[in-house]
Amino acid sequence: MKKLVYTVFIAFWASITTLVIVNALAPAPITDDERTVARPDAPASYSLAEVAQHDTLEDCWMVIEGVVYDLSDYVPRHPAPPRVLEPWCGREATEGMRTKGDSSDHSARAWRMLERYRLGPLVEAERGSGRGKGA
Amino acid sequence: MGNFLIWLFVALVSAVSLLAALAHAPENAASLLNALGRATAIVGLAMLLLAAALSARVPGFDRWFGGLTRLWKTHHRLGAGSLVLLLAHPLLLALSSSGEGVDAAVALLFPPFAEWEIWSGWLALLLMMVFLAPSFAFFGHPDYRRWKLLHRLAGPAVILALVHAWQYGRTLPADADKWLWLVLAALSVGAVAWRFVFSRRIGRLRYRVAHVIAVANNLVELVLEPAGRRRLKYDAGQFVYMAPFDRELSAGYGEEHPYTLSSSPDEDVLRIAIKDLGDASRAIQTIRPGSRVTIEGPYGRFFPDREPAKQLWIAGGIGITPFLGRARHLLARNRSVDIHLVYCVQDEARARFLDELRAIAERMEGFEVIPHFFYRKGPLDEDFLNDHVPGLVERDAFICGPPGLNALARRLLIGAGIGRKRIHTEEFELL
Repeated sequence: MKKLVYTVFIAFWASITTLVIVNALAPAPITDDERTVARPDAPASYSLAEVAQHDTLEDCWMVIEGVVYDLSDYVPRHPAPPRVLEPWCGREATEGMRTKGDSSDHSARAWRMLERYRLGPLVEAERGSGRGKGA
Repeated sequence: MGNFLIWLFVALVSAVSLLAALAHAPENAASLLNALGRATAIVGLAMLLLAAALSARVPGFDRWFGGLTRLWKTHHRLGAGSLVLLLAHPLLLALSSSGEGVDAAVALLFPPFAEWEIWSGWLALLLMMVFLAPSFAFFGHPDYRRWKLLHRLAGPAVILALVHAWQYGRTLPADADKWLWLVLAALSVGAVAWRFVFSRRIGRLRYRVAHVIAVANNLVELVLEPAGRRRLKYDAGQFVYMAPFDRELSAGYGEEHPYTLSSSPDEDVLRIAIKDLGDASRAIQTIRPGSRVTIEGPYGRFFPDREPAKQLWIAGGIGITPFLGRARHLLARNRSVDIHLVYCVQDEARARFLDELRAIAERMEGFEVIPHFFYRKGPLDEDFLNDHVPGLVERDAFICGPPGLNALARRLLIGAGIGRKRIHTEEFELL
């Protein structure tokens, strides 16, 4: 059993080191091929009232820079703890995306990933209401 | 019994957390890894808390687990399982997000410091690696004192791990995570409180060294008389934790170590035979009569409550002590017995207490002492047992010695046809 635990201990640090080194050496190229295709039956735009109905971690929509995203599938995998994410569900969340709470923007990759969860634009009349808060 | 319940509980927690984590059918490898990453966290933390709860060492409680040595084994295995699972936990989560890029995986592992919940988990894991390193001999055979000291980091590690888990607990339905952590945390807090507060006040009995008998140049038998109002109640062959308080000792002042009692429970005094196996036990060879010691116990259940009629005892080296205590007790009670004691030692000079055991054999009918000298006969074998122990297969066997001899004797006896349930072993090795 001592051998097993020691092996796992070494394997753990080997994996962590590998991840960190690979990340440091290979900055990911930025491509634009990950945009989702809008669903044909989706409405043309969404209102803040609609978004507000999806304000839990299990059913979490956010408005970011005038676009509505359904992040329910992603929230469980987001590295930040639930306490950080939950307040942004069901509302304008550009500030959260842009500042991460400490005025550092999310990575380009994170912004690109976000596109996978895109539902559609916010209705014209409501656009811009929350913008610029943290920008 | 206790061990079985512990593992049953672990299996239950594993099943429930796996089911809960996989509640939404995983769509791809990433979500499967994510689910496994959460499940390993829950089971790992549950095992860590159970290990903490088992560390109480409440006298008598260990009987439910087949003695303290077995209990320590379960504790040790829980610790191992917990470390393995909790090491896998961040890796699985990082790998699950590595599909979105290695930077996503690294960002998950090393988030901004504002996300203190993650760092609390990290700190707990690092502390675990430190305090468990000696337990699994990461860096060679550990020093007993350093090991005990480092093991106290388990306290902060458990607290940090609970903080981390409390913030994230959302895998099990209906806040079941939080209830699980509350109950297990209460148990482990209770255990630690007993160990470090109550056991020191009420668990430790005061004794005084009455005589120090030099049995050999590296072995003494301490005779202890009660110095407080309470006396230890115990069965022959059980062991205690003893801490000596003699300022002149070169090592181990106030440090507790486990020692087997070699006295009969009918005696007014306690006897403890101590061989110099480490710094503390070497120093204690020179303890002065009149010194104060504390005794905590008794622990272990080497000999069952209902005694088998025909017995075979196999002792190796200093493993003779529980048998010595038992033989003295049976003689004091004037019992008729059918016991064959095979006493395995290197040579005649190292057969400690052999003369006394032979004297007991002369006075107690049915008690035979059979020395086995390694230098003459080599390792113990089945022929030796068959030649010297009549009706071998009908006997219940009790083995106490170094791990090598225990394993060998066990194998021989199973080979001879004695059922596993009728073979009882006691080990000294606590790591």
